[in-house]
Amino acid sequence: MDRRRINGPTEDSFGPVFEADEAEGIWTPADGRKDRGLLDIRPIFLQPGLISEANGSAYIETQKTKIACAVYGPRQSKNTAYSETGRLNVEVKFTPFSCRRRRAPLRDAEDRSLAVAIHQALVSSVRLELLPKSTIDVFITIIECDGLESCVAAGSVAASTALADAGIELFGLVVSCAASLVENQVWLDPTEDEERVSAGTIVLSCLPALNKITNVWQTGQMPALDVLRCMEACQQKATAEIHSIVAQALLENAKI
Amino acid sequence: MASDDDALKAAVFQRLHPRTYLDRFVAEKYRPDGRQFDGWRDVSVNVGSISTADGSALVRLGETTIVCGVKAEFAEPELDAPDAGFLVPNVDLPALCSPKFKPGPPSDEAQVLSDRLNEVLSTTIPLSSLVIKPGKLVWVLYVDATCINYDGNVFDAALLAMVAALRNTKLPKPIIRENDEHVVCSRTETIPLQIAKTPISMSFGVFDTTLLADPTAFEEPLLDTTISVVLDEQNSLVAVSQLGPGLPGDEDVLSTCISAAKQRRVSLEKQIL
Repeated sequence: MDRRRINGPTEDSFGPVFEADEAEGIWTPADGRKDRGLLDIRPIFLQPGLISEANGSAYIETQKTKIACAVYGPRQSKNTAYSETGRLNVEVKFTPFSCRRRRAPLRDAEDRSLAVAIHQALVSSVRLELLPKSTIDVFITIIECDGLESCVAAGSVAASTALADAGIELFGLVVSCAASLVENQVWLDPTEDEERVSAGTIVLSCLPALNKITNVWQTGQMPALDVLRCMEACQQKATAEIHSIVAQALLENAKI
Repeated sequence: MASDDDALKAAVFQRLHPRTYLDRFVAEKYRPDGRQFDGWRDVSVNVGSISTADGSALVRLGETTIVCGVKAEFAEPELDAPDAGFLVPNVDLPALCSPKFKPGPPSDEAQVLSDRLNEVLSTTIPLSSLVIKPGKLVWVLYVDATCINYDGNVFDAALLAMVAALRNTKLPKPIIRENDEHVVCSRTETIPLQIAKTPISMSFGVFDTTLLADPTAFEEPLLDTTISVVLDEQNSLVAVSQLGPGLPGDEDVLSTCISAAKQRRVSLEKQIL
């Protein structure tokens, strides 16, 4: 019972049960991808600076995935010991309606692991040594999620864009891409359905400006060679395509 | 360069002396964003863009942006109300939307907003229309609104988002078979909600002796009084709240607000519903 919110029924509610699927019309990985090639990513819409009171912000949309991100800071660290370098604080929040099952507030631990992954992707790109005693807060709200790993990738891209929009000194833009191993093939930027049928998924974040990888997150069962194959595909895509999308979006925003 | 410098000076002045800053504008019969006292900001409503929700709406009121999604779930009704479903509205003001808020449990402002919205929304849907099997199974509608950009008058925007999301909501059709305890839903057939009322809220603020319509986040902390008027489609009152004193003298500020709200509701309805 949470007295700070309007509460529903005293007994737990549960998602509606649907009648059994008919055999025909269900998508299987053997059918392949309908709307794009295996190494294509979903089109990215990226808009920096839409939260008026934030120091920097960005909104990213890749078909169904919709994420808003705001950066506040650098501001004074409160209630923390003196620190020579700045702190990067990343918080991720799912809206309750963002996934197929409702995400009840408080009963959710997944946002923490996403925050850690995105923090790791970003932290080596930010020049924290220039900001003693300060904190940079990165807040990410996931409005709609289609594939958790793709969400981490899109969230990292949005956060890096927002950091750049806030005018915080960076070594470079962090770009990120996810890949799944489906039937022994590499599928980039998997959706939720594709992740479910895959053997394993990786998310790779990198700094194309320095040609360095900042974070790799792999889940599921994959042979080491296939992991490397996925990483290579991700890095190529991120460096070649996503980086220029981010740079272009920032440039256009700066012109206005 | 000179204009850049002036803009910076104005911004610093606004930060340091917000009251005087607003005073100077009010003396010229304008507000800092260029509106007149009775001017409203542009509204846009976009429904059904979130596929994971059973109904959704994105509302922009000026810069204020609210996303609302409706999730329908099954639950057992309460023992003392076997013929009533549940409608559970909540507003979230995350740390993302404004530097005013911190991460963590809902702030006082969010709790007050949720409670006021709960009272108004309870008129919109007859809870008896959410019953699937009396005493056994009912729908719970979780109506969750999240603020993405906080620029004042969140109550009006949140109510509009919730009402628009509810109007957009389609429930999967439950299939009830005899001698079968379990209820399953059709994957293809859906039914819209029965909406009894579409309340819309119009808020005002009193700054010194001036009545300002649709206050922004900059104006809100400077107001002596905030007034909200909620009207349904017949333009009759659903809820009125006045927090703070009225205008000095004989002028009846509440009736002024109600008649301004009625006019606004008519023009808004043509535009968005």
